Amino acid sequence: MYRNKKSGIIGIIITVILLILIVIFSNGENNTSFFENAASNLVMPIQNGLTYLKNKLSGNSTFFTDINNLKQENEELKQKNSELEQSLRELENIKTENNTLKEYLNLTEKYGEYKTVPGYVINKDISNYSKTIVINIGKKDGIEENMTVIADQGLVGHVISVTDDTAKIQTIIDTASSVSCTMSNKDTIVCKGTLENNTTLKAMYIPTEANVIQGDSIETSGLGGIYPKGIHVGTIQKVENTQNITDRYALVETAVDFNKLDTVLVIVNE
Amino acid sequence: MKKTIINIVLILTVFIIYYLQSNFFNWFTISGIMPNLFVVFVLFIGLFANKTMGTIYGIVIGLILDLLIGTKIGIYAVGLGLIGFLAGLFDKNFSKDSRITIMVMVLASTIIFEVIRYFLNYVLLSNSVEIMNFVKILVIEVIYNLILTIIIYPLIQKAGYYIENEYKGNIILTRYF
Repeated sequence: MYRNKKSGIIGIIITVILLILIVIFSNGENNTSFFENAASNLVMPIQNGLTYLKNKLSGNSTFFTDINNLKQENEELKQKNSELEQSLRELENIKTENNTLKEYLNLTEKYGEYKTVPGYVINKDISNYSKTIVINIGKKDGIEENMTVIADQGLVGHVISVTDDTAKIQTIIDTASSVSCTMSNKDTIVCKGTLENNTTLKAMYIPTEANVIQGDSIETSGLGGIYPKGIHVGTIQKVENTQNITDRYALVETAVDFNKLDTVLVIVNE
Repeated sequence: MKKTIINIVLILTVFIIYYLQSNFFNWFTISGIMPNLFVVFVLFIGLFANKTMGTIYGIVIGLILDLLIGTKIGIYAVGLGLIGFLAGLFDKNFSKDSRITIMVMVLASTIIFEVIRYFLNYVLLSNSVEIMNFVKILVIEVIYNLILTIIIYPLIQKAGYYIENEYKGNIILTRYF
């Protein structure tokens, strides 16, 4: 026992470091950028210097003849650049204004007729296989079972149980959830949650004659009794054709980012 | 007296694990997949206390989890209760002195728990079945659990033998002869 004590502690430290590294490197590029930056900072200055030297040496013969032409060209380009930049700025202003106006219009159009109660997400599921969330409003705020929950961007899920102060919500990305939806050409499909990731749904039972378009917007159809009609769910990302056209399916990207979800709205009146 | 203190500490540990699981491990994940410390905890109680304690703790913790975040009541309770019972059987048949056996037990019980839960979910909630994705998640989860077991093994051993002394009498010496 005592013989291994030291090696045991070292083993534990190594495991902790390994675990932290695995967690950092397995979670996408956001976390690794720090290390990438550090590595590139170490190497890049020297690399830049070397490249500069190499270019200087190889381009030495035409260096002096080109210099006058270059000066002229440079001035012209500078002028053009400033003009373009100005117009770009104007365009960007118009773009953002347009976007905000559009958003206002859409929101009031879509969700104006519903009476909603806002709530915060206070707890997420602790397992990898189901995706329920808990919010901080309950019976006292008028929440009941089977009420629809939305966020600013679109559909979140429905309430499965309530206590006095909290409500449990089954999100649409849960594998046990299925939502009846319509595409823009009024064909009905069923969107189910998948285990694969947190942002896509699997749209099944596509009618054989239906024409599925990539980037098509998906809304709830109002069938099934829980979700009201016309709430935005997401957009079609990809259509998977199988051998038999009856069981082809599409992947739907949800409008709501469930990894960053923190405020939701519960639709109170039906 | 000592037993009540042990039980209070164990119940506090349940809450600590719950907060860890729902706050810390929600973002400290391996490619989005978190470990399942409750399985390790129930296995630990069943191994070092006894079979009945393991089962009771499993069922009670499971019910709490079902009420807090589960969709249908009973899924966690059945799974964790069974793990507690199995831990009692492990205790009879295997030695607990080496790290490897504990790791194998954690591996086995994590797999058993998740398969049972997935099956119950399928039966009760009509989940769509995705075997490949399920296996992928399960493998990463098991690896994560094993890494955590390696890290907390000294704690498991110390606390474990303390509890075992209380519940089964001093049988540690007899094991070596």
